Amino acid sequence: MEGPPLIDRRMAFVLGKGGVGKTAVAAALALGLADAGHRTLLVEVGAETRTEALFGTAPALDEPVEVRPGLFALTVDAELATQEYLSIQLRVKPLVEMMARSRAFHQVTQAAPGLAELVTLGKIWDLATTVRDGAPVWDRLVVDSPATGHGIALLEAAGNARDLAGSGPIRDQAEAIEKVVRHPAATGIAVVAMPEDLAVTEAIEAVEILRARGMPVACAVANAVRRSPFSPADAQALRAVLADPAAGDAERAAATAAIAVTDGAHHDEREVEGLARESGLPVAVLPHVPDLAPGSGGLEALSAALMGDPAIRGAA
Amino acid sequence: MNNAFDLVEMLEGRRVVVVAGAGGVGKTTVSAALALGLAARGARGAVVTIDPARRLASALGIDDLGDTPHRVDPARVEAAGMRMEGTLDALQLDPQATFDRLVAREAPDEAAREKILRNRIYRHLSTAVAGAQEFMAVERLHELVDSGDYDAVVLDTPPARNALDFLDAPERMTRFVEGRGLRLLLGPRGGVGRSGWRALQAGGHMVMSVVERLTGAQLLTDISEFLQSFDGMYEGFSERASAVRFLLASDSSRFVVVTGPRPEPAGEAIALWRRLRDDRYPLGAVVVNRVHPQPGGGDSPPSALAALLADAGAPDAEGLAARAADALASARARSAADRHEIRAIAGALDAPPITTVPALDDDPVEVAGLARVTRELEGG
Repeated sequence: MEGPPLIDRRMAFVLGKGGVGKTAVAAALALGLADAGHRTLLVEVGAETRTEALFGTAPALDEPVEVRPGLFALTVDAELATQEYLSIQLRVKPLVEMMARSRAFHQVTQAAPGLAELVTLGKIWDLATTVRDGAPVWDRLVVDSPATGHGIALLEAAGNARDLAGSGPIRDQAEAIEKVVRHPAATGIAVVAMPEDLAVTEAIEAVEILRARGMPVACAVANAVRRSPFSPADAQALRAVLADPAAGDAERAAATAAIAVTDGAHHDEREVEGLARESGLPVAVLPHVPDLAPGSGGLEALSAALMGDPAIRGAA
Repeated sequence: MNNAFDLVEMLEGRRVVVVAGAGGVGKTTVSAALALGLAARGARGAVVTIDPARRLASALGIDDLGDTPHRVDPARVEAAGMRMEGTLDALQLDPQATFDRLVAREAPDEAAREKILRNRIYRHLSTAVAGAQEFMAVERLHELVDSGDYDAVVLDTPPARNALDFLDAPERMTRFVEGRGLRLLLGPRGGVGRSGWRALQAGGHMVMSVVERLTGAQLLTDISEFLQSFDGMYEGFSERASAVRFLLASDSSRFVVVTGPRPEPAGEAIALWRRLRDDRYPLGAVVVNRVHPQPGGGDSPPSALAALLADAGAPDAEGLAARAADALASARARSAADRHEIRAIAGALDAPPITTVPALDDDPVEVAGLARVTRELEGG
């Protein structure tokens, strides 16, 4: 894939199905970028937040909150973003309030396909392009996208809006946003999957859809990949113990548990290989980190693994 | 972990089984395994999946899982060691096709139908409007139950960050198509209707002119046309939505909530179960999927393992034995954590029927694998 490594692009969109650890990967990436000295904003889409569970600090809806040195978090909600957009466009407070209260207006925003996604994307674009004193306010933005279907809808929002809105400021803005979102020097998409058959298949399908629509996919991330501390010779000896009539229950249980670990690791290895082969993308491989709670060091470990991976930082 | 009851038996005789839960917990597999169990016991069963589930299709021996029902070859089921007394069909929801059929049925004439199908808002509807997919899923369920072709329809609900969306979506969607307020304002484009004057006094006209300024006139024209073309149809829509709601709330239905033994999906499952209970939907059971089994061997440490490994020719028998003991300790800890989570669900929900399915590396890839899950759901 053309374009610089993910860590060098201003906007990273982290996509994935529910349950694959997308939010943790986005948080780990944002943390790593901030640690590397970039002023970074982690953007969550939707009213529900999971950032608090990872950083111990709740992100605000309207104002970025510093959750770690140099790392800020913000939740972008379509409804609030719409109001904000209106106040920028209309500048007359009572008019904005009237719009926000209007049921008909809400119905238009619901009816207009992808308008909610467009204002969300517009808000993200606005954050990415805001300049203060001649320098961008944010060096990096990491977007924790909604689960796959909607994640793609979010990225496509600008193109859809351009097609639907025949004229007017929305169309012009949609065009400007689309340019940035599609530009592989500015934007990178990371598709997260678990090393599980269905999840890998779905990730590959998502990559195909994104590519077909000209979206800048940068890499895939295989999350919670099991590794084995046992060599093939170890596995052979462990299997011999299972066949040994002298082995007691406790010994059998330990050998069985160890063999399950090697089987699991082999399984995951095959899935990661399949993901790399079928997607044609560099794949970052992350270990299974059971505890990501603040203070556990789990998120930091995940971040270190991610930032050290050539799939994210580029070949040396 | 042995299950105390047979979930398939509990669901026997129900016309609709709704399988709900957070994304990524294995709802599709559980849905298919339940449908298989019901069909094996003699029901004319169907499983409706929402997500493209290629593995499931191959597990059922169906080449292209689509909007039309495909029959699962009973020989495959029998080969998996399960007696097949009934039949099993599988379908994958095609929201747009479902909605097109609904429009075809409800539209007063051919011209009205064509007008809707061509409308740009309509063409984006199934993907863009919040709740549209859930609405179509419920509509498809209605079609299948109405057809009289099935005794039991198992519905795998759409993935959503919030599993509760499924229950609210149809109503949201009906309200949207109904488009009160918006209809008054848009009226026939170019003029403000009699009732529109009232809305205009409330500042509604200004709202529309602002929207028009921002989006151009085309969008509002499209929306207006869309809503007008549904004139005389939305009564039919809301009637169907309430008919389905009535069916889902009746004793002919059961809700099965699926979760994994982890705090996040378990939290969603608890919220979903409570919501279903408060709204008086008929509850079936909670299925905890992908539970790590408890390793055997009791609590005694594997003290003789190093000697046995040395006999087997392991290069570093002591070190290997220690690592194997670690693996066992981790497996025990994982299993204990899973059981803890299951107890937490039971405690939070005042002991609902809970059944568990053990963790597999992959979702089943053949009928035999699916049949194994069915047997677990039948009580292990």
